[in-house]
Amino acid sequence: MQEIVESALFAAKRAGASYVDIRSIQREEEDITTKNGAVDAIKHTGSKGFGVRVIANGGWGFSSSFIATPEEGERVANEAVQIALASSKTKLEDAKMSDSKVHQDRVPQPVKIDPFEIPITKKIMILLEADKAMNVQGIVVRKGSMHFSKEWKTFASSEGAYIEQERIVSGAGISVVATDGKEMQVRSYPNSFGGDYQRKGFEFIEEMDLVSHGKEIAEQSIKLLLAKQCPSGMMDIVLESPQMALQIHESVGHPTELDRVLGEEASFAGTSFLTTDKLGTFKYGSDIVNITADATIPEALGGFAYDDEGVKAKRVYLVKNGIFVGYLNSRETAAKLGLEVMGAMRADNWNKMPIIRMTSINLEPGDKTFDELIKGIDHGVLMGTNKSWSIDQNRLNFQFGTEIGWEIKNGKIQEMVKNPTYTGITYEFWRKCDGIANKDFWHVWGVPNCGKGEPIQVMQVSHGTAPARFRDIQVGVLK
Amino acid sequence: MIEKERVFDILKNVISLSSADQTEALFMGEESYLTGFANNYIHRNVGGKDCSLSVRVAIGKKVGSAMVNSFSEDAVKKVVHDAILIAKNQRENRDFVSFAKPEKRKDRNFFVEATANCTPEFRAEYVSKILSKTKAKGFIGSGKFETNTLEVAVANSLGVERYTKLTISTLKSVVLTDTSSGYSEYSSVDVNKIPLDDIIRESVEIAEKSQNPVSIEPGKYEVILTPYALADLIGSLSYIALNARAMNEGMSFLIGQIGKKVVGENVTMYDDGFSQETISLPFDFEGVPKKKVMFFDKGVAKGVVYDTLSAYKEGKKSTGHSLPQPNPYSPYPMNLIMEGGESSKEKMISHVKRGLYVQRFWYTNPMDPRNTVITGMTRDGLFLIENGKITKPVKNMRFIENIAAALNNVLELSKERKIIYDMASVTAPYARIKDFTFTGKTEF
Repeated sequence: MQEIVESALFAAKRAGASYVDIRSIQREEEDITTKNGAVDAIKHTGSKGFGVRVIANGGWGFSSSFIATPEEGERVANEAVQIALASSKTKLEDAKMSDSKVHQDRVPQPVKIDPFEIPITKKIMILLEADKAMNVQGIVVRKGSMHFSKEWKTFASSEGAYIEQERIVSGAGISVVATDGKEMQVRSYPNSFGGDYQRKGFEFIEEMDLVSHGKEIAEQSIKLLLAKQCPSGMMDIVLESPQMALQIHESVGHPTELDRVLGEEASFAGTSFLTTDKLGTFKYGSDIVNITADATIPEALGGFAYDDEGVKAKRVYLVKNGIFVGYLNSRETAAKLGLEVMGAMRADNWNKMPIIRMTSINLEPGDKTFDELIKGIDHGVLMGTNKSWSIDQNRLNFQFGTEIGWEIKNGKIQEMVKNPTYTGITYEFWRKCDGIANKDFWHVWGVPNCGKGEPIQVMQVSHGTAPARFRDIQVGVLK
Repeated sequence: MIEKERVFDILKNVISLSSADQTEALFMGEESYLTGFANNYIHRNVGGKDCSLSVRVAIGKKVGSAMVNSFSEDAVKKVVHDAILIAKNQRENRDFVSFAKPEKRKDRNFFVEATANCTPEFRAEYVSKILSKTKAKGFIGSGKFETNTLEVAVANSLGVERYTKLTISTLKSVVLTDTSSGYSEYSSVDVNKIPLDDIIRESVEIAEKSQNPVSIEPGKYEVILTPYALADLIGSLSYIALNARAMNEGMSFLIGQIGKKVVGENVTMYDDGFSQETISLPFDFEGVPKKKVMFFDKGVAKGVVYDTLSAYKEGKKSTGHSLPQPNPYSPYPMNLIMEGGESSKEKMISHVKRGLYVQRFWYTNPMDPRNTVITGMTRDGLFLIENGKITKPVKNMRFIENIAAALNNVLELSKERKIIYDMASVTAPYARIKDFTFTGKTEF
């Protein structure tokens, strides 16, 4: 790798680049899926390549290749400069980056059990045991999945950075579909859309105990077919922590991305209502709402040692005591606003240019028990596990649906309700948060599939959260 | 690009190295370039080369697969070894019968040299023309200009050998003002057929006319959906209804409905990879030639798409709609086409007493896939139509709609259609639809 780095850095500088970085990734992945008592697919993927990012004549350029040779490093670097020079034809000012400490480091990721050392047969056995547990009459689809990845990333820059870091990820989940021929109901464990992911080894899969939860979700999905519809109207809600993760993701994570705020994602992902005049003054939520971007949590899927600009991982507040106080930023956007860089530039692979992404966006725990959240409600709904989501391109109007709900009456959880949905305007919603469960109920959920950018990048992020209560919310908008 | 002869050398080598009962090798190569712009300048300008070699093997009914992005001798040996090792440790898949068998079908060329050779300077020049216009108007230009070349080849031990090259170029313009936005997009295999002036005109005009929108109350409205909006709506059916997987998993609203009238008589929709009105590979990722599959013929449900596994399971033939395997989203209609009618956008507007003109939807997501209920927001241009004329811009609104019901409420379709390409191709006309349900609003 060292030869390719030197070749690319030298070639880009020679071609006129004022700044160059090169990032290479070697990645190994394993995916196993089961469906209805059989192994649906097993796939092993190996990939490697590198990308070169440059500033030349004040414009940005990026090129990449899967051919890892010094000669290709030189060709790619020259192409990146050619692209940057084309960019510069439309520049309004020269691209600039804020200063950042230059690091040389090597960061392995220790795990208790290397997932690639566990035989496939054992992984299959766990998923098929869980499948068996889900095999309840009335279930038409039973699915299980496991994902493992291991990568070694090298980052070097013309400023002198040279950082190597390892990343090992394990994830798994199970789900069922029940139908009576007229409608279908789904349940998942431990979360929907692939389950839960962390930067841990196979021990994370063992901790999940998929097998023990199979029967419960199967029975719940059958009961949902017979359950009454979620009530409609303005009422109080408690969101279980998997749904809170989605709520944080869509209505805090994305709107605090400074590239969106500055219009750089207007073409696709959209912009944000969190305009720069709101920084430090805007009432984002109630006083108990404290939200951090924390890339330093060792096992969080959104964590890392250094971002893809070589900035060391940090923990910063986005919302403190309900006030909006911080953005997710990059060296370039931080420079534009005179902010301190917080390290949120990430690319999903070697062939993509880094953009501002969530790290681990976490709602700090509150002081209530789960029972205390429920006890404080006369009439409302407890909602768990995301089923559908939609939010406007400024991140204001959202509507989310969950797999399951339970009506709450007089401070007690009552009967199960189906098709729960709720809707609101982001900051109005967070201002209605009046209870957050304590650290005993707090969990960091891994979200492996956050899409953003052109070309699209699918990023691994995470959200630490406990269940929380919101007052007077519009519930049950489904016709 | 690696080119045909070299690609088949690699694929045949894979097959010869494999000791499995059946072996399939899929090669995909890509040279992709994207010039992104925002705030009236090029802010993200990227490109690169990647490839993948996917190997699938079957030992009896045990199937394993592995993928690598290298063709070195060691990498090819390892990927074959990994696939076989996985298959050996695999459980039997009772639905597996065979990989695809060879079929004769003439290929179609979707490769254009000018697109493959497009330079960063060419893309920057087009973008500059958009930005000249937005700057002159005091607006903000953003968007992307993308030129991609794909090389796909499939070979298997049963004799399938398919190879093709495909180019795709897409120019998108999103124009922002202080209070509004406008949108236009066009995709073509030939970069020289991108109608730059039309894209500038549409995106600037919509942004200009939608300034200072008013808020109106949610409710049922007659709507005119542009091809962008309609493609979003009907494209959702591709995943939740129009494929054998959705039928098999109890998700599709077409279960038990084949042969019955399920949408309006004026709705005919099909998948056809050989149509002149789509962007397509001539075969799927198992090497099966694409076949025309009718979904709705004058409102009557006719069928769904299949890949090899789902076809064998039902004793049918693959329709050529496999995604790269293994894949939880396969089979999938990649070339959805809705037939147009006799009307035009202008005539439709003149026929609306009170309704909404929707330029585009955003963040549409199924709420109840079994009943085709989805939600989403309007974006980049929403207008009130009163007494046959567009009268004022409207702040964006949230909709919840049953797609099948909406397709039962189609009052008019335009003759004009557009190809919307985003991973898959959807060809759609303008549509006038009654009783479209809006449930919420936002602040802009």
